[in-house]
Amino acid sequence: MEDGESTATDHEVQNHLAAAAKHIMMALKACRNLTDDTKKVLSDLNSCLPNKLILGEYGGWLLIDSEEQIKHYGEVIMRWETELGMIWDHGDTEASSYLNAVTEIQKIVKTIGSHPMLLSNGKQKELSLRAHHILQRAMSKLKQELMHILIQHKQCFAPEYMSFRSHVEDAVYDESFISVEEDVIESLSSGDDSGSSSDKCLVNLIHPKAISSIKSIASVMFASEDDKEFCRSFVNIRKDALEEYLAILRMEQLTMEDTLKMDQNALSCEGKKWVWALRIIIRVYLRSERCLCDQILGEFGRVSPNRIFIEIAGSAMWQFINFGEAIAMGTPQPERLFLVLDMYEVLADLMLDIDSLFNEETGSRIGIEFHELLSRLADYAKGSFSEFRNCVVSDRPRKPFSSGIHRFTNYTMNYLKTLITYRETLNFLLHDLEADGLDCSPEPENGEEISSYVSCPLAQHARLLASLLQENLENRSKFLKGEPMQHIFLMNNINYMVQKIKDSELRQYFGDEWIRRLIGNLHRHANDYIRTTWSSALLLLKDHVELDVSPFHRPSHRSRCNKFIAAFEEIYKSQTGWVVPDSQLREDLHISTSQKVIQAYRGFIGRNFAQIGDQYIRYNGDELENLVLDFFEGSTRSLGSSRRR
Amino acid sequence: MPATEYQGSFLSRISIRRNQVVSMDGNHEQELEELEIFQKNISERFSDLISDDSSSSSNSASSSEPFLSIAWVRKLLDVFLCCEAEFKAVLIMGRDPSLISKPPLDRLIPELFDRAVKALDICNAVMHGIDSVRQCQKLAEIAAASLEQRPLGEGQARRAKKALAGLLSAMGIDETSGGHKSAERSWSFGRRGGGGGGVSVTKDRGSGQSRASTWGVPKNWSAAKQIQVMSANLVAPRGAEASGLAMPVYIMSIVTVFVMWALVAAIPCQEKTGLATHFQVPRQLGWAQSMVWLHEKIGEELKKKEKKGASPVGLLEEIQKMEKLGQSLLEFSDGFQYPVPEEKLDEAAAQVADLTETCRRMEDGLVPLQHQIREVFHRIVRSRTEVLDVLDHAGKSSAPSV
Repeated sequence: MEDGESTATDHEVQNHLAAAAKHIMMALKACRNLTDDTKKVLSDLNSCLPNKLILGEYGGWLLIDSEEQIKHYGEVIMRWETELGMIWDHGDTEASSYLNAVTEIQKIVKTIGSHPMLLSNGKQKELSLRAHHILQRAMSKLKQELMHILIQHKQCFAPEYMSFRSHVEDAVYDESFISVEEDVIESLSSGDDSGSSSDKCLVNLIHPKAISSIKSIASVMFASEDDKEFCRSFVNIRKDALEEYLAILRMEQLTMEDTLKMDQNALSCEGKKWVWALRIIIRVYLRSERCLCDQILGEFGRVSPNRIFIEIAGSAMWQFINFGEAIAMGTPQPERLFLVLDMYEVLADLMLDIDSLFNEETGSRIGIEFHELLSRLADYAKGSFSEFRNCVVSDRPRKPFSSGIHRFTNYTMNYLKTLITYRETLNFLLHDLEADGLDCSPEPENGEEISSYVSCPLAQHARLLASLLQENLENRSKFLKGEPMQHIFLMNNINYMVQKIKDSELRQYFGDEWIRRLIGNLHRHANDYIRTTWSSALLLLKDHVELDVSPFHRPSHRSRCNKFIAAFEEIYKSQTGWVVPDSQLREDLHISTSQKVIQAYRGFIGRNFAQIGDQYIRYNGDELENLVLDFFEGSTRSLGSSRRR
Repeated sequence: MPATEYQGSFLSRISIRRNQVVSMDGNHEQELEELEIFQKNISERFSDLISDDSSSSSNSASSSEPFLSIAWVRKLLDVFLCCEAEFKAVLIMGRDPSLISKPPLDRLIPELFDRAVKALDICNAVMHGIDSVRQCQKLAEIAAASLEQRPLGEGQARRAKKALAGLLSAMGIDETSGGHKSAERSWSFGRRGGGGGGVSVTKDRGSGQSRASTWGVPKNWSAAKQIQVMSANLVAPRGAEASGLAMPVYIMSIVTVFVMWALVAAIPCQEKTGLATHFQVPRQLGWAQSMVWLHEKIGEELKKKEKKGASPVGLLEEIQKMEKLGQSLLEFSDGFQYPVPEEKLDEAAAQVADLTETCRRMEDGLVPLQHQIREVFHRIVRSRTEVLDVLDHAGKSSAPSV
């Protein structure tokens, strides 16, 4: 019973207290300026309240049970200080109760912080420090959790973008002019490795389910003004991830010196990796990274996702830029043209992405540097192109060569064919490069319509190069012994040019008229070949030529026949060893030889059969015609002297 | 910008002179005079880098740019850019291109290029070094921000302690012994580890230190060695060569190596063991006196650091200050016990203010410094191309006669 009584009394007292407190509050609200005496009384009142925190707002007093709260939430937080393992690994409930505890402590800290007058009270000060201490532990823990989540949920995207891998290894345009005569040259065709249609898509660099966790951590860390710590951890981990990814792409860290000293093969390999990696990195990886930054930091306003992104991507970009710079610093070389064009094209193609990723607002020079690099690569490409032209003009034979298709012709034509695959880029780059020296413009004769192909800058340059090649071949042919061989050499090579042009896309750039002219040249050399090879032998077969020779000295028909056969055998011996690889051309030559020479022989034999005498005719016309078929087969034969007397 | 001012007046002077005497090809007297002006300018520029009070004591606050401060390094780079522009004017402007394709320049120019390419790599390494300084700056900012809070409790002290420990370890300083760690770990230039990932990594990087700080140069690259190689074949021209174009090439080489050496000394950079002894400025030359003085001054600092068993992380004034304040504040936070005596608190507050000020100077200065280093990079590339073009011309025009 006594208990019940005392409870009732207690209850009454509580009511009184509440009513009195309300009175005080109302009075305080009404009165803004407290006198010292009043303050003293209130302060006494304050110290009478055990274990309670008194808060003031607009001079009014609010009581909250801070100590209890700090104790309660502090326990939730401090439990993880001793517990091993990660909170987020224990499930969402644990994580959200932890975050909740942190938020509550933050609230208390904030409330206390906004009333500095309270801090003069020793008790409150102590509570405040304790709350700060707990909060500090929590921030430290959250940072670890953040790094753990970032690493654990990092996603490495892949194979479909990695499919160019095999491409990187096979070098297709690594021949140099120097090696041209030593190496057999396969097709120079460049691998067109422009990205797949899907290369525009974004990927999740962090598993989507982790994003909300990261954001909730960000939110409490930012609330505690721990944004710097958050960003630092975020940047470092993402930077490492990018570095690892570049290692997967096998991008190597090279110095400028290394790159400048690299041989053509290594350079070509590195360059292709560059082209391939840059596309993936910019178009997929960094665009996704940028989205991630926006996703996580976008709502906080305090840090710019832009700036964080630059911190993550910056150093990797410098690596790409510096490799490009090193390439562009090198001496322009024809064999590097296609590599540089690949680099130029990929960079030009990525420029819009680069501009949006590294815009000027970020204060970063990366965007500008890429633009500058693009123009330097363009200069280098133009320089290499001119260098190629110079080589075509001035290349001289360095060692003996045969009458067959010269590797220089092969190289140059393949080079031209490869140039065409870069049509748009080259048309853009070459438009201001003079195609001086020769008249290469198409002739609009016969009302023939000039296609856009024929008149584009690249076409003009291609025709100029082909003309220069012809000139070079003419000069080169002088190194061969004897006019007939020179003509065979030129025919072989011009024919090769014609075939290359006709059988490829080059055809539309050269135009039919130009090809006709080239074929005309071919015919001219064919006639010249017959003339220079056979004219002296054919003279022997002519009946009227010896008119000025006195009858006394006039050789008999028989000896003229013998002399002709001897000359034929001589020519047979040398020209069977010559090569005309093109069967059509070879056949044409056999036919015109038959027409010009065997016909004349048949006529001569027919007219003078009696004088010569059957037994002195070693070959009839058919036999000789068959022998002509042995010409240009590439294996030297001689007609057996056994048939001679 | 002072750089362009200097350069403009000098270049126009040279071109006017050249135009006046264009008919008297190879006028020796005029050449000598040009060379003299060039040397005089170099000498003056470098003496500008010695401020009045830095000559008496290197650490006192100077009215202009404190010795080895970010501002001073920027001034040094300005000087380099000016000298470079003038050098190019002396070497190629309006000159008969065949001159530089003949001995001794046919040998000296490629050597100069070789040094230029090495300088480019140093520029890249230093760019990354500045990135790592910025990392440290962030840690310092975190520490300063925690220690600025009032009341200062254990929570803040702990946070500051963590940040400062991270800062000092990133600087290669072992916080427990107070001394420096071996060169291996300096400036967190940890080697690029393969693979990794997973939980263990989190532990390794308690302070959130990134491993990705080797970007810029391969792991076996050494800044000190580059400097050594750059200066290895530097020989002053003698006899008749001393009055010809060989001289400016020599001078410019010294200027380049010196500036690169000073950059490597001032800014964290991969591998600088032995830097102090790897390069000497020739003492007997009049134009190099200021450089000799600066070289001695920086060399002393380097040796002081090396003696302490430290790999010289970076002599940049701001870095040194950050290191000192960091160590002292780490001690303060480490022994923190509430309540802290008023005077101790005041002392710490002053240091925090200093640290905040240092961070601000870094914030303001480091990015422009990076931009300027990049400018130096591009300038070197461009000049190399220009000289190559001239050589190319010379090669083509003289080809028939050879």
